[in-house]
Amino acid sequence: MSLLSRVADRIYWGARYVERAEDTARIIRSYSDLIVDLPTEIPVKWEPLVALTGNSTSHDVAGDSPRGETEVMRLLLADQDHFGSIISVLARARENLRTTREVLPREAWYTLNGLQQYVASESERAVARRTRDRYLGRVIDESRRLDGVLESTMTRENPYHMWRLGRLLERADMTTRVVGVRAASILQLQSLNLPDDYNEVQWMAALRSVSALQMYQRATRGPIEGPSVVRFLLYYAPFPRSVLGCLQEMRTVACQLPERSEVISAIDWAISALLASEPDTNEGVLLDAAMEAFQQALAEIGDAIHEHYLSVSTIDGSGR
Amino acid sequence: MDELLEPDGVTPRPPARGLMAYLDQIGIEELRERQQVAELDILTMGITFTVYSDGANIDRAWPFDVIPRIISGTEWARVEKGLSQRLRALNAFIDDIYNDQRIIADGVFPIELLNGSSNFREQCRGVRPPFGVWAHISGSDLVRDDDGQFYVLEDNLRVPSGVSYLLENRAVSKRTFAELFQSYSIRPVDAYTDELNKLLSSLAPQEVQNPQIVVLTPGVFNSAYFEHSFLAQRIGAELVEGADLTVGTDDCVYMRTIEGLERVHVIYRRIDDLFLDPEVFVADSMIGVPGLMRAWKAGNVGIANAPGAGVADDKVVYAWVPDMIRYYLGEEPILPNVPTYRCMYPEECEYVINHISELVVKPANESGGYGIVIGNRATEAQLAAAVEAIRADPRNFVAQPILALSTMPTLVDAGIAARHIDLRPFILTGRNSYVTAGGLTRVALVEGSLIVNSSQGGGSKDTWIVDLHPSVGA
Repeated sequence: MSLLSRVADRIYWGARYVERAEDTARIIRSYSDLIVDLPTEIPVKWEPLVALTGNSTSHDVAGDSPRGETEVMRLLLADQDHFGSIISVLARARENLRTTREVLPREAWYTLNGLQQYVASESERAVARRTRDRYLGRVIDESRRLDGVLESTMTRENPYHMWRLGRLLERADMTTRVVGVRAASILQLQSLNLPDDYNEVQWMAALRSVSALQMYQRATRGPIEGPSVVRFLLYYAPFPRSVLGCLQEMRTVACQLPERSEVISAIDWAISALLASEPDTNEGVLLDAAMEAFQQALAEIGDAIHEHYLSVSTIDGSGR
Repeated sequence: MDELLEPDGVTPRPPARGLMAYLDQIGIEELRERQQVAELDILTMGITFTVYSDGANIDRAWPFDVIPRIISGTEWARVEKGLSQRLRALNAFIDDIYNDQRIIADGVFPIELLNGSSNFREQCRGVRPPFGVWAHISGSDLVRDDDGQFYVLEDNLRVPSGVSYLLENRAVSKRTFAELFQSYSIRPVDAYTDELNKLLSSLAPQEVQNPQIVVLTPGVFNSAYFEHSFLAQRIGAELVEGADLTVGTDDCVYMRTIEGLERVHVIYRRIDDLFLDPEVFVADSMIGVPGLMRAWKAGNVGIANAPGAGVADDKVVYAWVPDMIRYYLGEEPILPNVPTYRCMYPEECEYVINHISELVVKPANESGGYGIVIGNRATEAQLAAAVEAIRADPRNFVAQPILALSTMPTLVDAGIAARHIDLRPFILTGRNSYVTAGGLTRVALVEGSLIVNSSQGGGSKDTWIVDLHPSVGA
C-alpha cells in the first residue's frame, strides 16, 4: 500500500507524541509515588521531572531556581505553551491523527480524540496531587488502548510500520531519560548522605516508571541495586521497554519498510554503541553522560528516518 | 408549511405520525437528554467543521438537531427523477459550451452570458471527458414553499460540500432513535460512498484496471477539511495536498510516497478551478499542481469535477436550466426553478429595482449565503447599496420572490418550535445517475431566520425517506 511522505511524517510524529505523553505520565506517577516514601526531612525536589520533557537537561536541574510541586506539575500537565506538557503533546498528536484519518482505523481516531478532550478539560485539575493519579492512569491506559486498536485492526503495511517506528524510538529515548533523571538524583542524594534504603527506593521508582518492577524481579531474582537495574533497563531485550529491546524491534520493523538500508545502519550503529558501553551507575555524572550519548545515537536514527522516508515532500513542512 | 405537521399546527402528517407519537411518549426532558448524548457523540466522533474567525481557524462541533425530517418515499421518487434529469441537462450544456456551442447557435442561450461569466474557462475548450460528463458530483439546494412544491434554489457544480454530514447525521440519529429505526422503514444512506467510488473509478484512463484515486484538498485549514478526510476514508483513497502531487514529463500525475513516485489515475479535487494548476490558472497558487491540466487534457488522469464545470453553476445561468432540459432532453422539467428575474435584461432589471423590498437579490457567483440581500429584512441603506450594485453590473445579479421556506419542529431552549429549513441532496452523474436517499437538511436555528448556512449559525437534521407500510402511523 502506498504511503505519502507527508502522511508518513504525521503518523510517525503522532506516534511519538502519544508515546511521549504516555511516558511522561508514567514517570510523573512513579515520581509522585516516590516522594511520598522519602523521609520528611529531605527537601523534596520536583525539578528533575522537568528534565524529562525536553528543553532543560539534567545538568541545570541541580542548580538554581527551585520550583515547587504545583509549579512543576502545571508545567508538565497543563501548560499549553510548554512544548513537552501532556496537554500540548496530545493536542499535536490529535492534530496529526486528524489529518491522517484516511489511513488509520476509525476507532484509533475516536480513542485519541476522546483522550485529548479529557486532557484538555482535566489537566488543570490534575495539578493537585489528589486527582493526579487518576488522570495519569487515564493517559497511560488510553495510549495503550490506542496501540491495542491498531495492533488488532490495522493492516501490517507501511503506515503501521511508521507508527511502530515512532512509538519505539520515543520509548527508547524515554527509558534513557528515566535513567538520566536517576543519575541526577544520585548526585543529589550523595550531597545529603542518606542511608542506602533510599537508594533502593529510588531505583524501584525508576523501574516502576517504565512498569518494569515485576518483570525485573522475575528476570533477576535478585535485590534492587543500581547496576543491575540499569543493566535491565538498557540491555534486557526481552523487556519491551528496555533500550535494546526497542532497538531490536525497530530493526525488525525497519526491515519491512522500503529503501531501508540507511535507517537500518543507523539502528545497528546505535545497538553496537549501546552494547559497547558499560555505564558507571554509581557516578551520577558518568551515568548521565552515557545516557546523553545514547540519546544522540537515537537522534541519529530519527534523522535517518526523516531523510529517507519523510522529507520527500517538504513544502509546508511536516506535522512536527 | 411545516414538514411534519398539517396546517393546523398540531396534527402530524401521515409519515410523521409514528415519530410525533414517540416524541410525546418520551417527553421533552428525555428528548433533551438524547440531544445532549447526540452532541457528545458528535464531539467524540470528532465531527467538526472549520470556521475562520478572529484570525484563527477553529474546529467546531457540527451543529445537529435530533428531530428528524421525514419525506415520504413516493414524494421522493419524483424529486430523484427531477434531479437526475436536471443534472443530465446541465452536463449536456457544459459539454456543449466547451465544444460545439449548439445551444448558442440555436438562439436558446445568449452568448453575452458566456462572455461575462467568471466561471467559463477558455482553457477547457475542446476537451471531451468520459460520458460527456463534467459535473460528476453535485449538490442542488431544494426548498419548499407554502404550496408544498419542491423548488430548486441553486445548483452547486463546483465543489459542493455537506455529504459527509448527511452520512454522519444518520449515524448519530440511529443511536438517538434506535427504536424508531425498527418501526419505520427508512431508506439507508450509506451507499453513497460506494457509488462515489464506482463513479470515480469509471473516470480512470481506459487501460487501468485498479485505479489509484486521490482526494485533493487545499489542506487542514479549509472549512470542509473534515469532509475531505471523511470521503477519503470511506472510499479508501489517499488524501493529498497539491505538494504531494507532481506531473512528469510524460504528462502523467504522480504522488510522492515513501517509496518514490506513484501514478495517480483519478483526482477528486476539492480545490477551486482557479487554484488547480498554476501553469494555466492563478500562477501563484500554492495549493495546486503545475501541469495538471496538461495531464487531464492528454487523458492521463480523470478529474472530478472537471475543470470548467462551474460555468453552469452561476445564479444567472440557473435561470436557463428549464430551457436546457427542454433543449437537450426534449423533456419538461420535473422540478421547477424558483421564478428568477435576470437583471441583464433591462425590463426585468427595472422590475427588480422597483420591487426590491419584495425580492431576494443574489450576486451570480457567491456561495455560502454571502452577498445575498433579502428585501423585506434589509435596511434602506442596504437596499440602496444593492440597487447601486445592480446598476453597476446587471449581468452579475438575479432576483427571486421571497419564499416562505417550509419549517420543521426543532428543539430550542424554549421547547420544540418551528424553524426554517432547506434540503441539499447530492447527485452523482457518470455512466448512470445516483441521488442520495434524502439529503442534508439545514435548519436556521434563529427564530424566523432564513439563513441555514453552518458558517452563519445554521444547524442540521437527519432526513428520513420513509416508505409507509400500513402498520406505521396508522
